[in-house]
Amino acid sequence: MIYDQPIFRTMGDTALNIEFGDETSIVLNFRILMLDRVIRENPPLGLVETNPQVRTLGVVYDPLATTLYKMIAALTEMVDEAGEVTELPSRKLIIPAYYDDPWSRECAEAFGVQNNMEYIAEFNDMTVPEVIETHTACDYWVTGVGFVPGAFMSYAMDPRLRFGAPLYPTPRSWTHSRLLNFGGTTSTIYPIRVPGGGQLFGRTPINIFDPLQNNAVFADSPVLAKAGDRHRYRSISREEYGEIRAEVKAGRYDYKVEEESFDCSSYAAWLKSLGEPPELRDPDATWSLA
Amino acid sequence: MIEILREGLHTTVQDMGRRGGQSLGIPPSGAQDGFALRIANLLVGNSGSGPLILRDDPGAAGLEITMGGLELRARTNMLVALTGADMGASCNSEPAPLWSAFLLRVGQTLGFGWAKSGARSYVAVNGGIDVPTYLGSRATHVSGRFGGFQGRALKEGDHLHIGPTNSDIQSLAGRHLRPELIPDYDGLRKVRVVRGPEAHLFTRESEATFYDTEWQLNPKSNRTGMRFIGPQLSFCPGRPKYLIKEAGEDPSNLVIDPGAPVGTIQVPSGIEPIVHCVDAPSIGGYARIGTVISTDMSTIGQLQPLQYASFVPVDHDQAVAALKHQESLIDESNILH
Repeated sequence: MIYDQPIFRTMGDTALNIEFGDETSIVLNFRILMLDRVIRENPPLGLVETNPQVRTLGVVYDPLATTLYKMIAALTEMVDEAGEVTELPSRKLIIPAYYDDPWSRECAEAFGVQNNMEYIAEFNDMTVPEVIETHTACDYWVTGVGFVPGAFMSYAMDPRLRFGAPLYPTPRSWTHSRLLNFGGTTSTIYPIRVPGGGQLFGRTPINIFDPLQNNAVFADSPVLAKAGDRHRYRSISREEYGEIRAEVKAGRYDYKVEEESFDCSSYAAWLKSLGEPPELRDPDATWSLA
Repeated sequence: MIEILREGLHTTVQDMGRRGGQSLGIPPSGAQDGFALRIANLLVGNSGSGPLILRDDPGAAGLEITMGGLELRARTNMLVALTGADMGASCNSEPAPLWSAFLLRVGQTLGFGWAKSGARSYVAVNGGIDVPTYLGSRATHVSGRFGGFQGRALKEGDHLHIGPTNSDIQSLAGRHLRPELIPDYDGLRKVRVVRGPEAHLFTRESEATFYDTEWQLNPKSNRTGMRFIGPQLSFCPGRPKYLIKEAGEDPSNLVIDPGAPVGTIQVPSGIEPIVHCVDAPSIGGYARIGTVISTDMSTIGQLQPLQYASFVPVDHDQAVAALKHQESLIDESNILH
């Protein structure tokens, strides 16, 4: 559901979440990314930082420099100012991925669960090759960066190809770095060795996070992904995985980032032409949003 | 210079955190008990900083010692202050004062036993621990392998530089915190919480249980998250079908990952509430029942494994009042000499 008006939710005394809806919607994310740009260009007094995500914009502020009420008033004006989004800057990246890899299997075994790739296939009534085919068949829109250093949330831009699997009921205590995983329909990659609850299904040889900023692609920031990027996955063999990994380690790998502008209006129109999936108009939805 | 003779369980360099990282997935890190580090810095005459990431300047870096075991030697004369948990610290085998600045002379050692009360001790030194800043802060983020001393916990044999000092350290020795302001870390600890963005997804009974329970800190807790052992919480029925399709039947699984700043309390599947601490992910995928107020993250940081804590509901204005009160305490007027 996308709300008529965003809901401001307090998160303790120094943070707020501006919530635009409770579902995965790239069109909704356009509004959040635009709002984030408006806020960053002209930050209200007391603003510490923002955290744009798929359906929410997190705000950290200093309640000793402003008040909750003044902050909400300033942000509400900016929501109106951001308005309809026609275009956003958007980079395009190719991400090589070795699917159904031994490291993902090792994590599943260590945690005493089924190979996650098989689980994802069963959950979606697919075969493993169909999972790989579907995951490489369209661009993924990066709605936000977060979780651990450099991790990002992304979603299939073609809703007909959007799939995923539920998070583990209890998160693992560790995960190998650079593993592709699903949390719901969120597709992401663990940049470093961390705990986590995502269903693991592949490994990329490229760095998603580089604290030493060794490659030119990390010159401005140790984080590869930016909100508003488009990723396309490419299935690679074990051999190619090894070759690319060696190039990455030597600092020679070319990340081939293309800077482009994305036509949000046309995308929204195309989505509309596909028709709204019936699930999103569930008449049984009874949860209070108060 | 400080030489590490014994690293202890887990000792890191920390300041008041790295700001601007949430949208990069980079946590604030910094002192888990900000009150204790900031008082220690005040005692040794280091310039002030603010609450976690609220100021441009994260303040001087000190050492955060978890549960104990550290031993260090001074390679130069320096002014230090120890605050936070009582680990029975000793200076050349004589008891070392807590919450008080004193001179550590070249060759003298400072040793820490195991925490008797509280979980984290802080060592501040006049001039601060001089490690390179990374994205504006000296705080260590161990799992990200950046910040602090070589992006890791300290090890035996490490040598830490001390920043330049402008003050006459002799004259600052003996400065101590007003005794009535020294926190008591023992017994059942109260942690104040503002209602969270998904509190309405829990049943009324479960939300009441959350606040009525004496929770026990799971020993598997750390600076990423503190987990609490207690009763299972349940959720209201009626999860919409579109959410089930995207994220399964478990009502605690949110379809997507909304922002989860420090203090956020998630309850995966209704089991073991997890408080996001200073090294926590910037987003979370589970229902958020509440947020620990910024002031009480210090209380959380001093809980020992299996120690009891209860959550106390407060509103936003009470939370801000608590922060203002804390800021009034971290003040030169409360330092006696």
